[in-house]
Amino acid sequence: MTPVEWTLLILTLVFGFYMAWNIGANDVANAMGTSVGSGALTLKRAVILAAVLEFAGAFLVGQHVSDTVRKGIINPEVFADEPMVLAYGMIASLLAAGIWLQIASYFGWPVSTTHSIVGAIVGFAAVFGGVTNVDWSAVGTIVASWVISPAISGFLAFIFFRIVLHTILFKPDPTSAAKKATPVWVFLVLTVLSLVLMIKGMKHYFKAAEIDLPLGTKIAISLLVGLVAAGVGAILVWRMKIKSNPMPETYDLYVARSLEKVQKQLRRIRNATTEDTREVAQRMLDDSRSLYETVKQRVELQPRESQFREVERIFVYLQILSACFVAFAHGSNDVANAIGPLSAAVDIIRSGTVAASTTVPTWALALGGVGIVIGLATWGWRVIETVGRRITELTPTRGFCAEFAAATTIVVASVCGLPISTTHTLVGAVLGVGLARGIAALNLNVVRDVVVSWIVTIPAGAGMSIVFFLVLRAVFG
Amino acid sequence: MRTIAKLFSRSPFVPLAAHLDRVADCVAKVPQVFEALARGDQEAVEDTARQISKLEHHADQVKDDIRNNLPRGLFLPVARGNLLEILAIQDSLADAAEDIAILLTFKPLRMPEAIGDEFGMFLARNLEAFEAVVHVMKQLDELLESGFGGHEAETVKQLVREVAVKEHEVDLIQRRILKALFAHEQKMSPGEILLWMKIIPQVADLSNLSENLANRVRMTLEVK
Repeated sequence: MTPVEWTLLILTLVFGFYMAWNIGANDVANAMGTSVGSGALTLKRAVILAAVLEFAGAFLVGQHVSDTVRKGIINPEVFADEPMVLAYGMIASLLAAGIWLQIASYFGWPVSTTHSIVGAIVGFAAVFGGVTNVDWSAVGTIVASWVISPAISGFLAFIFFRIVLHTILFKPDPTSAAKKATPVWVFLVLTVLSLVLMIKGMKHYFKAAEIDLPLGTKIAISLLVGLVAAGVGAILVWRMKIKSNPMPETYDLYVARSLEKVQKQLRRIRNATTEDTREVAQRMLDDSRSLYETVKQRVELQPRESQFREVERIFVYLQILSACFVAFAHGSNDVANAIGPLSAAVDIIRSGTVAASTTVPTWALALGGVGIVIGLATWGWRVIETVGRRITELTPTRGFCAEFAAATTIVVASVCGLPISTTHTLVGAVLGVGLARGIAALNLNVVRDVVVSWIVTIPAGAGMSIVFFLVLRAVFG
Repeated sequence: MRTIAKLFSRSPFVPLAAHLDRVADCVAKVPQVFEALARGDQEAVEDTARQISKLEHHADQVKDDIRNNLPRGLFLPVARGNLLEILAIQDSLADAAEDIAILLTFKPLRMPEAIGDEFGMFLARNLEAFEAVVHVMKQLDELLESGFGGHEAETVKQLVREVAVKEHEVDLIQRRILKALFAHEQKMSPGEILLWMKIIPQVADLSNLSENLANRVRMTLEVK
């Protein structure tokens, strides 16, 4: 390789790593913030868990979206005659997305890494590869998925939270209802996760190891994983020291009132009569008085403490699970933003042709995973702390529903190869819980900002990548 | 990047409870005015009335704060209008307490013997109705946690019914008191009659407003 190629290679790796760092620094907080905020996890544990799961997500399932970013938006063959143009374009896109994100986070705009990188690639490809050579139907699908993913995750979160309401929070004894429901939720989360891994996620690894399992076996394994996890969850929950705290029966208040009336009438009878009748009335009065005292005690014993605190305590553990799932899903989708362009550029620089390896190499996925983890370790933990402190409103029951819904949506998008915004998907999920009357006050202005960011990010990313492309070509070309 | 954090706004239900606390301070002073009246201590009546006015002003400040911090873009688990009505009724309760005290300052009054006994019970029942609705409002936190439905909502429904029962009892006593008042109208000056005719319904307003407030909360529930 020539010195110019070496320089370009290093530039690619640096910019790609910077993108991965950015993703780890800023977006992981979405997953772990709530668990740290609610005190379920210490900051250190949250960072370690997030690091492991982000890496696992990126490494195991990151392939599909990376392939889309690399060669789904534009056909690399268009650049077969001058492959370096594509390399410059991918480097320019990385740089453009990175700088656009820096600007956006300075002003606090809810801009997504995914949108920036897609905008940047579409921009340079349309200008230098020809408008007709961009796969507009693929771009259309991706853009549609940006609108649909928050909607779907909002819908799921709504359903999940309604289920939690009806099966737990509406019950007279929410604590024991929560205990019973926990294994079911654990089963659902783990089954979804392992289904994704078995059916789509590890396809390439299965192929490499020459393992060929029929679909039925894969589903059976996933269900088994879910069942085992549910069993473990059930044991853990039953061993938790939780005092079951049934709500007082509502009729107690009424009974107490009625007994008051009974005593009043009986006193009248006693005072108005003599001898036998008076004696009977007196006895009945004594009886009703002692009954009244018992009932009244029960009414007064009404726990002034929230009956729902224990439910939240149980859900703290489920929320850790869902937060981990979000971290995994996030890794699986967002690693592509750094690794897709990076691996494309590296391939071209090393081989000199566009038609290199058919899939993203594993070392690139690992590099992306490491970049995310370093971003998390050097800066992301701060953001986790800040976000955690500010979203205490998202109590474990709410947090679990929102996170499970968002993570499911993201992971499905990941296996479909759709690059979506994890942040926007989570916003949709939180709104879904809000629509189910789960959150005290939501600021809908954020939704407006999100929509504006959809519209603004594409041209901004495109414009910048075009400028950087011209600069790179002038310097190296 | 902190989009998720920005999504959560300050809950208006916390200051709403703070407002009710201020309103309760006002209502708690009402029996003191009547005690001062019973002692014939006009100075103390005027002093307590001044105190209530001050407390009512405090409540107003909290109310304005809530109203000013309720932007259109806020999404709440209860209808915005419903929340504002709850706030307005809470505020009327403070106003009612203030008006009762002010009516007693216009001229030195004496508790008419004809109604003296029953008036004590009348006032007590009104305060009980208010206490009952305070109890309802205290359930709001639990309602927020439980999505305004299910068992908790049933409990609140019963508590709302309690307020209505108290209000009805007040109505019955009020009729008896007014009859007794007119039965002895010869013993009183027209001015006295006029003032009592204003004071008694004003006291009854405490329970009327309490019932309205309870019904507003009832409307937020997800039960049939």
